[in-house]
Amino acid sequence: MLEIILKEVREFLRDKTNLFFFMVFPVIMVYLLGNLLSNYDNAEEAIGTLTVHYMIEASDPADVMAVESFVQNLTDQENIIFEKTGSLDLSMEMAGRDEIDAVVLFTGSPMEIHIYEGMNRIRNRSVNAMMNGFSQINKAVKVLAKNNPMALADAANTGDSGSGFIEQKDLGIKRTMVDYYSITMLTMLSFTSLMIGSICFIGERQDRTIRRLKIAPVSQVKLFLAKILGLMPQAIMQTTLMMVLNTVLFKARYASNLIDNLYLFFMFFLITFAVISIGAVYGLFVNINPMATIFPVIWIMMFLSGTYSKEIFIDGVTQLMPIYQVQEAAFDLALFGNYEKANTVVLVCAVTSIVMLVVGAAEFRRREER
Amino acid sequence: MSYVYVENLVKKYGDLTAVDHISFTVEKGEIFGLLGPNGAGKSTTLNVITTLTDFNKGEVIINGLDIRKDKSQIKQIIGMVPQDIAIYNHLSAYENVKFFASLYGLRGSRLRKNVLEALEFVGLSDKIKEKPKNMSGGMRRRLNIACGIAHDPRLIVLDEPTVGVDTQSREHILNSIRQLRDRGATVIYTSHYMQEVEEICDRIAIIDKGKMIALGTERELVSMVTDVKSIYVETRIPAGFDREAFCKKLKLMPGVKAVKAEDAVIRVDVSIEQNGTERIIQEFLNHRLPIDNIKSEVPNLDTLFLTLTGRELR
Repeated sequence: MLEIILKEVREFLRDKTNLFFFMVFPVIMVYLLGNLLSNYDNAEEAIGTLTVHYMIEASDPADVMAVESFVQNLTDQENIIFEKTGSLDLSMEMAGRDEIDAVVLFTGSPMEIHIYEGMNRIRNRSVNAMMNGFSQINKAVKVLAKNNPMALADAANTGDSGSGFIEQKDLGIKRTMVDYYSITMLTMLSFTSLMIGSICFIGERQDRTIRRLKIAPVSQVKLFLAKILGLMPQAIMQTTLMMVLNTVLFKARYASNLIDNLYLFFMFFLITFAVISIGAVYGLFVNINPMATIFPVIWIMMFLSGTYSKEIFIDGVTQLMPIYQVQEAAFDLALFGNYEKANTVVLVCAVTSIVMLVVGAAEFRRREER
Repeated sequence: MSYVYVENLVKKYGDLTAVDHISFTVEKGEIFGLLGPNGAGKSTTLNVITTLTDFNKGEVIINGLDIRKDKSQIKQIIGMVPQDIAIYNHLSAYENVKFFASLYGLRGSRLRKNVLEALEFVGLSDKIKEKPKNMSGGMRRRLNIACGIAHDPRLIVLDEPTVGVDTQSREHILNSIRQLRDRGATVIYTSHYMQEVEEICDRIAIIDKGKMIALGTERELVSMVTDVKSIYVETRIPAGFDREAFCKKLKLMPGVKAVKAEDAVIRVDVSIEQNGTERIIQEFLNHRLPIDNIKSEVPNLDTLFLTLTGRELR
């Protein structure tokens, strides 16, 4: 078994095409995309003063207080004007005539925030970002109030809300497009590993060596597993190299602490393993070069998932892409230290890997190579 | 009991019967040839013997072990040299042989010794660090053989091992096969190069369309269709020479079956057993007939195949 694993590693390391596509190319992509497309993040126009009408129909007094406090804080900003409206319809008409930038309705319990956007796309995004921030903080306060009301009361009495109360993670880190592409390219790398998986049996067939393997006095199940395990060092190498090189060369930032980074690494390793297992099973059933079949599909999926540009998001389509879900989990973990989506990805990948290994081993054992 | 015993073997792929009730035995230390045109069923038969393919009917026993019941033990004693060159291009010659030998449980110093011996045996001991992509076709073929024999198999199956190689490499390969036999291995050899099979095989089976059409030593096979060889003598017959009388005299010689004169060429059909070529030539010289050219036509496996099937082997 060890011999098979070593053989796989040797072959991978000596194949210049493999080394380029799975080690060098993704790093180059991070550099190119991260720097070339970072111009997309530069503002092309000044936002100026934002004028927003709002109405509170929320029933929970805590919500009402939170909204009013939020609005009060905003009025201190010179370029943001929040005005309470008496008529939602009238305000919406004004937004339609571009006289104001948006109308926001706080309603229901638990509170919902409805945003009626104006005519300017950039200003709409600003309003959305603002309200999203408010919503997140409001949720955090509510969780704290439920779980540790004393701490909330202490904070309210002392007026200390700067530290230890609601502290947003990663404050102080300036995120760049290189950070974005460091994660999306890591996702790309994991998914293109489907090629490595599929070629591991298609390649044996092309080299005609598969018959030699099958007549050897080695258990077919063991042989299959050894071939897959032989690809694991590659998965570890490519993920490690990608994270280290991007961090060292391009100052990319993944998560803000070691534990989160290790979990991110583990998640991507497991994704790669699951994808390789799927590829291996594909390679058992199909004998067509994956470059012609799998590769275009993955590239289209990556395109639709916003891997190459965060501007690409097609509602109803993008969310269905596994690549998008992985990226979301990675961003959630890296930016906010949120493990929830990452845990789901890890669980799905673990189950997928096990299923694929069982199916693959059974098929490899059953299959006759003519 | 024979080392390899195949009885009524049938292998079907859907509606196609690739091997149709084939039976044969191979004795220990024998080089057994399987001859037949492409698609005859040779490779399928070998695939069954090497445990690569299951079969529909029949019985296959190797070294007293039933292939269906004792597959793993049989695998241990078989060495396969496939028709296609089955090696890894990114591994060196040494690494290739070592990898395949290690699958048979060889480890440590024994593994190293066997690998080096196998490479030396096929004449590649000076190429151990060379990658296959830098080797000639003949060298790659020899490496292909080394990968199949490094674990000291007792039964070696060679499926057309000389396809596409130069004469020098072919000679080397054929000599190697003889040496393997001399070391005690039993060899099953397939080819559609008739001459090769005649040269190295102790016994030959001819397969066509999945059926066994002939089995025996080369001489036994040829004698199935004829026991006569033809000698063509080109001469200059002087004026006044009685050609008819000379032909009659030749026909009365021992072993001569028929004599036919066409222009300057006299054809004499003579029994292979008695081989009267020398006496026939002497007869020409006794009659002061100059010999400008002489050609002998011995029936071979191709003749046999042509006679049995109406088609040529290749």
